[in-house]
Amino acid sequence: MRPAAAARRVWAASLTAATSIFGARAPAAQTTGTVDIAASTVRYDGFLPSGAASLTPALSWERPGAAVTARGTYLRFESGRRSLQGLVAASLFTPPGLLPRRWRGELSLSAGGSSYADFASFWHATGEAQLHFVAERRGAWIGGTGGRSSYGRVPRPVAVAGIGVWTRRARVTVAASASRSFVGDTAYSDLASTVHTGRGRMELDASLGARVSSRGAGHGVYGEVRTTLTLGERTALFAAGGRYPTDPVTGSVAGRYASAGLRLRTPLRRPAIRDPWRVSRSPASGDGEAGFTARLDVQPAPDGTVRLVVYAPAAATVELAGDFTDWQPVVLRRTVGGAWESVLRIPSGVHRVNMRIDGSGWIAPTGTTRVTDEFGGEVGIVTVP
Amino acid sequence: MTLAVTSTALLAAMLVAARAAAQQIDPRLERLDATTRPIVATLVDSARGAALPTEPLVQRALEGATKRAAGEVIVAAVRRLAVDLGHARDALGSTTSPAELIAGAAALRAGASPTILTELRHTRREPLTVPLAVLADLVASGVPVDSAAAAVLALAARARDADLVEFRRAVERNIALGAPPAAATAAMAASVQVNAGARQQRPGRP
Repeated sequence: MRPAAAARRVWAASLTAATSIFGARAPAAQTTGTVDIAASTVRYDGFLPSGAASLTPALSWERPGAAVTARGTYLRFESGRRSLQGLVAASLFTPPGLLPRRWRGELSLSAGGSSYADFASFWHATGEAQLHFVAERRGAWIGGTGGRSSYGRVPRPVAVAGIGVWTRRARVTVAASASRSFVGDTAYSDLASTVHTGRGRMELDASLGARVSSRGAGHGVYGEVRTTLTLGERTALFAAGGRYPTDPVTGSVAGRYASAGLRLRTPLRRPAIRDPWRVSRSPASGDGEAGFTARLDVQPAPDGTVRLVVYAPAAATVELAGDFTDWQPVVLRRTVGGAWESVLRIPSGVHRVNMRIDGSGWIAPTGTTRVTDEFGGEVGIVTVP
Repeated sequence: MTLAVTSTALLAAMLVAARAAAQQIDPRLERLDATTRPIVATLVDSARGAALPTEPLVQRALEGATKRAAGEVIVAAVRRLAVDLGHARDALGSTTSPAELIAGAAALRAGASPTILTELRHTRREPLTVPLAVLADLVASGVPVDSAAAAVLALAARARDADLVEFRRAVERNIALGAPPAAATAAMAASVQVNAGARQQRPGRP
């Protein structure tokens, strides 16, 4: 199969798979689809800067001990030229008990292709073995990769050896890695570090790295920053920017970029909780997918009180009832920015809560774990530490 | 004469007992209809007799009343919760606190097995309320029970409650960003370096 055709087929397969389940309940809990829609400005090394729009469907299938991801990217530049990328990757983990406690093995396979404007095409197929040491707040891994990569000519052998460490403190995870890669005659070493943190609905990733001891793959320092804001269960906004290096394995060219976009995902599958009562799909009985997006934030304070905040800018009245109010409705007070709040004394533990907007039916607010109640609707579950 | 006196005395005693029983009914249950109230009160009394916490039963009945559920539905819900609380105590032990029992009942209802609860009790010395709540939350979010249990059991030994809550939030964020629930749980439980081959693409890079 020609590389360009392979890239198109992988891309088309992932697009079809993602869109075919979009808008419908995922057939299994561990199959999920996402579509990223983004606008970017990018300047690949050696090229003029360009605006671009991209569409990236992805499909992931997961079961305990194994995972498969397929994704494709269609990128259209302001010149009218286009780029197609496709990737299928799978991981298989050693079952618990096979290795000593705290150790885990992982075997990964990756195959993909890309083409740019019908004249530059890549494909690659690689396998990677990693051994992980996983402790509570820190870990390390060592691994090796082998395979083939091609730039429209005779495939070149790929060999990569890498090692990495990570540690997590509170909300921050820091990782560092070093690798040495050989792709045909090309050889290079990468030193990389990443920081990940998240708070509330915001997530932030940053990376900083350097390419050293390079023969044919460029030198330099690179870094990226990426932030994601989760809007709801099925939508998120993201923005990213920075500089990344050439990847001789997959064929991506070094470049600087800034992007912003929207991620959509398939709806979450709710588990079949052992409950004889059916969930009504009407908004009045608490169907959270019927257009109600009001979100409840539970903010415990050191003095033992808990601030309950609901974001519902268009509401005229917002009420909460839960096992901490003896299920008597409590009217929330409007504050700034479309927020409504109340401060209550709520003991530590698991609590059930419902919300009512403008006197309509009781609903389970987003921001809680919504489960079917025994009364024909849904109830939100919150945990107060 | 003696029979009449005895009968009168017995009747008086029953009336007094009935009144006393009526007075013991939680006044909050007045929100239930006259047919449902005594049945729920009886269930609450039975739970009290079995040394189970009664407050969650009262709250479940009040929840039904607020949602204007039919009386038989409220009774069924309260009865089922009482059974769940009993199963949770069997799994967690007789010294389990009411908050732990409530969380344990929720975990069992979500699909966790009693064995998992027992194992969690043996794993963690501190109160289990938050770990059990996180376990129920994960399962309700679509994480398979075995994956959720493995993650919580791995963390529960030494993690603080706040860490577990933050872990739960991080999993929720990853799921919202498109990660399969099991992968999100495993990745957060083992930080972010596992699953390198099939990890979700981070959005943004053209």
